Amino acid sequence: MEVSTQDPPLDASAETMENPLYKKHTAVKRRDATISVLLGVATYAILACAAFIFLDIMRKGAPVVFESSFPFVNTEFFTQSPESLITFEIEDGSYFEMGSSEFYEWKRENPETRIVEEHAHPYSGGGILGPLVGTALLTGICIVVALFIGLATAIFLNEYSSKGKFMDMLRLAIMNLAGVPSIVFGLFGLGLFCLVAPVITDVPQERALFTIPIFFTDSYLSFEGWGTCMLAGGFTLAVMILPVIIAACEESLKAIPMGFREASLALGATKWQSISKSVLPYAFPGMLTASILGITRVAGETAPIMFTAALAHKDKLPWQDIPVNKNANFLAQSGEWTSGFVSQSVQAMPYHIYTVAARIPQNEWTRPMQYGSVFVFMVVVMLFAALSIFLRTRYRKKMKW
Amino acid sequence: MSHSGNPDSPSSPAKERLVFKRRGVQIFGLGWQDVIRIFFGGNASLAIIILILICFFLAKEAFLFFPDHHRDLNSYRQSGQEFVGFMGEEVTAHTNLYSSANIAYFAEVNRTSRVEDTILRSYRSVLANVENRSSKTWGRLEREIDALEEVEDDLSDLDPETEEDVAEIASLTEEKRRLEKEIPPLREKLKREVNTILSWDEIWDLGVGAEEPPADSIPGIREAVLFEAFPDAEEEHPFIEKTKQISKEKKAAAAAELAEFKETIKGMQAVVRPLKDLERELKEPALENKKEITSFSTAPERRDAWLKGAEATRDPEEKARMLARAEEVVIKEPDYAAINQVFYDAITRHASIAAPLEVEMKTLFDKLPTPAGVVTKSAKENLKRAGVFYDRFQESMASNRKKIREWSHDHPVTVVESVSAFLVGKNWTTNSSWHDFYGLLPLFTGSLLISIIALTVSVPFSIAAAIYVNQLSSFREQSFIKPAIEFIGAIPSVVLGFFGILVFGEALRNISQVEWLQWFPGFPMAERLTILNAGLLLAFMAVPTIFTLTEDALNNVPQAFTENSLAMGATKLQTVFRVVVPTAVSGVIAAVLLGFGRIIGETMVVLLVAGNKIKIPDFTEGLGVVTQPAHTMTGIIAQELGEVDSGSLHWRALFMVGMVLFVISLLVNFAAQRVLKKFQKI
Repeated sequence: MEVSTQDPPLDASAETMENPLYKKHTAVKRRDATISVLLGVATYAILACAAFIFLDIMRKGAPVVFESSFPFVNTEFFTQSPESLITFEIEDGSYFEMGSSEFYEWKRENPETRIVEEHAHPYSGGGILGPLVGTALLTGICIVVALFIGLATAIFLNEYSSKGKFMDMLRLAIMNLAGVPSIVFGLFGLGLFCLVAPVITDVPQERALFTIPIFFTDSYLSFEGWGTCMLAGGFTLAVMILPVIIAACEESLKAIPMGFREASLALGATKWQSISKSVLPYAFPGMLTASILGITRVAGETAPIMFTAALAHKDKLPWQDIPVNKNANFLAQSGEWTSGFVSQSVQAMPYHIYTVAARIPQNEWTRPMQYGSVFVFMVVVMLFAALSIFLRTRYRKKMKW
Repeated sequence: MSHSGNPDSPSSPAKERLVFKRRGVQIFGLGWQDVIRIFFGGNASLAIIILILICFFLAKEAFLFFPDHHRDLNSYRQSGQEFVGFMGEEVTAHTNLYSSANIAYFAEVNRTSRVEDTILRSYRSVLANVENRSSKTWGRLEREIDALEEVEDDLSDLDPETEEDVAEIASLTEEKRRLEKEIPPLREKLKREVNTILSWDEIWDLGVGAEEPPADSIPGIREAVLFEAFPDAEEEHPFIEKTKQISKEKKAAAAAELAEFKETIKGMQAVVRPLKDLERELKEPALENKKEITSFSTAPERRDAWLKGAEATRDPEEKARMLARAEEVVIKEPDYAAINQVFYDAITRHASIAAPLEVEMKTLFDKLPTPAGVVTKSAKENLKRAGVFYDRFQESMASNRKKIREWSHDHPVTVVESVSAFLVGKNWTTNSSWHDFYGLLPLFTGSLLISIIALTVSVPFSIAAAIYVNQLSSFREQSFIKPAIEFIGAIPSVVLGFFGILVFGEALRNISQVEWLQWFPGFPMAERLTILNAGLLLAFMAVPTIFTLTEDALNNVPQAFTENSLAMGATKLQTVFRVVVPTAVSGVIAAVLLGFGRIIGETMVVLLVAGNKIKIPDFTEGLGVVTQPAHTMTGIIAQELGEVDSGSLHWRALFMVGMVLFVISLLVNFAAQRVLKKFQKI
């Protein structure tokens, strides 16, 4: 090469240096600039779409949830369960709009009034308490189960395992599990938890796959399934997010330096002592993040709970009027509170949104319920997502040993 | 829980004897530490067990599906329904041809009265808007007028001479007076309301892209709407009447010009009638046969049910009755040859109908105008499609004639036929009174089309964003964009589907009507919920997956590569596109594959937005096929599984669809992992 490149003197300013190779406006540079701008535009276009969706739902949903006067929040929307919205006029032309339960009360109080033009709009009245509670319960069951199995798996993968066939298989299985469509998990949950899972019961049902008598009692372990209930839904969801939880827990365990374990072992602690005393406590924030991440994923899923747990309409909240099933229950003897509680179907937010978006006739009276539910649901999920992102960043910054 | 731990682990503590080591309690040679290890190992192996269980539960139903389906297909053949189905195919092929010619004809005729039709359409839309806005007053006025009429009717029925009626007459007259007093102010009020409403701009909003009526017709429309505000007006406003009249005349003139076209279409309709009649005639015996065969095949089951019931009851009388019912169940195999004789007899009749039909259709088709011979875009397109449909009609006639000639009811359905009836079957029909078909093709095509659109849109955007964020943006931009895109991944899919139904679908349809976008295939769209709508939403959904994985892959490219390239004098972008991206290409491919897996497995968006029409999209429209509604594999499971009996053929078919989805997801995952492994070798 002809041109010798010299190191620029440190004190020389840019103007005095004439680089013979440096040209300000070449075709290549112009092309580069254009492409950079295009790439930037593509990136911000994605963000603009997201912002548009978010703002649109916010604009239409916020008026349903917030009010201009004290307490500034539409309390009815959060304290009632979905019901039909009745719109009607009475003879003198005044117009009313109320939920079905309120309507029947009103009718009882005003038996004389003749009602004209009565319309019922299903699921458009009341609030979203039932679905919110149902989603919270499903998510809770799911997180407990998934965190238990996921953490144990992560501990095994990170602390105990050594290379081998079993490990390869395990990694492969986890990775494949992550790719299975959610509706297939729904089918699986229906097939396993709803129709085949074991219950302890005195009177096994005929459809049970097989029954095993339990010694010294009159009960049987009957493989007849839990039916459509929140337990089945929670377990199905847990199976679905297992890969996510495992990955997150493993990451949090990996972040803890080997020195902690080695020091502990060198002091004479057993393997388990060193894990439980000098690894797990420090991995705790990471696991918290994992569970919050799990909540965001699970709360929005509709397909797996459609056939395993969800119900479009339910009058009572899960803790009111628990059905006492004489014959089938999960672990305990007949008719106990806990088993009756978890063997109910529940309403769930995503399923409720599906119902109001696609399964009822659309008109202007259904809009507030639709946008209100979507708004609340999205804000809740987004808050959890933000929390998990925030915690993760903080945790990563803090956990530098 | 399985206890498949790892017994040969080299870190087994029992191997080394330390001087100060406590032995502790041991059971079967396993110490406390081993138990803990096995516990964790057992939990870990749950992942494998779950995967195996998924396979098992899907496979169980799926493998039970094929024998059932095979039996079902056999009965379809033995009942002669298959024979009638062949004719049905011919009729359908003809109908496709006929209807596209018909659409072309009407597009041509209506072209001349376009202005008048626009005026009438705008009038109707404005009137509907106004009625909607003033519905309270309007409805009340209508009710009062009705009430008044009723009162007058009642009054005329009553006899003032008789004593009983006198009191009633008094009350009715009172009522009448009240109503008569109330109606005029109401009427005034309505008129005022309508007048105000008419001055609002949004009333005149006919939707984006809808054709505006000519400016000089707007006063007329306004007049006519005001005129309608008198609900008792029997006739329509003269302006509307006149417009209708003109429209009618223009259409008539156009029709006169196109008389030959019309004759051809009428001829087409007439010439197929004998075939249609024959098909309808044969459907009845086929259904009879089906009933007989079903009753034969379920007879043992029914008898067993009665016997079982009899065994269970304690009441002797009831028991006797049940046993009698069990006796009554006849298990008699139908005489297949005899019940199918009617179809064999029809073979010659069909031949005598089909031959002239083909000849006549040829002459009729040749008489149709060519696409160049018509004016409107719709007519041109539809005539083009008619050409395709004519070829298909000929094919269908030829192949079905052969099938009909060679048809035999006792020819057993082969395994290949039965499996391909599912995998490449063109119909998915359930709860039908004729016969239920379980063919995967319509669902698979829908899923595939949606995925293709989603990927074509999503991949460029996500990869561009990944390159931008990873290589070009500042640190501050990065720390804002990355979480933001992660946020997109957290949007629940049902929320996106909801957005697609209520906002995006309508917006897309409006955009499709904009004048300068008409070059896009399939625009303007008639439907709101289409493949395109679902595809675009899924593209948005897939962005976080593809973006994150691509970004990771770019991140993993060793820093030295970039530095070397820059040191050689390459510009930043040259480095990115010639060094970084090619190095990371397998990671990018894996990202795209996993994105595909995410898209094809997505349920709620497609269930809500794809339109749920179970039919193979009509590819004669070319690329415009994307503006049609479709159904998907995931959607069908979500939609139908809740409503079928467990263990039925339909239920098993749905599990089989799930199995196909599962296999696709495994294959995609496998491919992605293979690609990634290659990448790691660098």
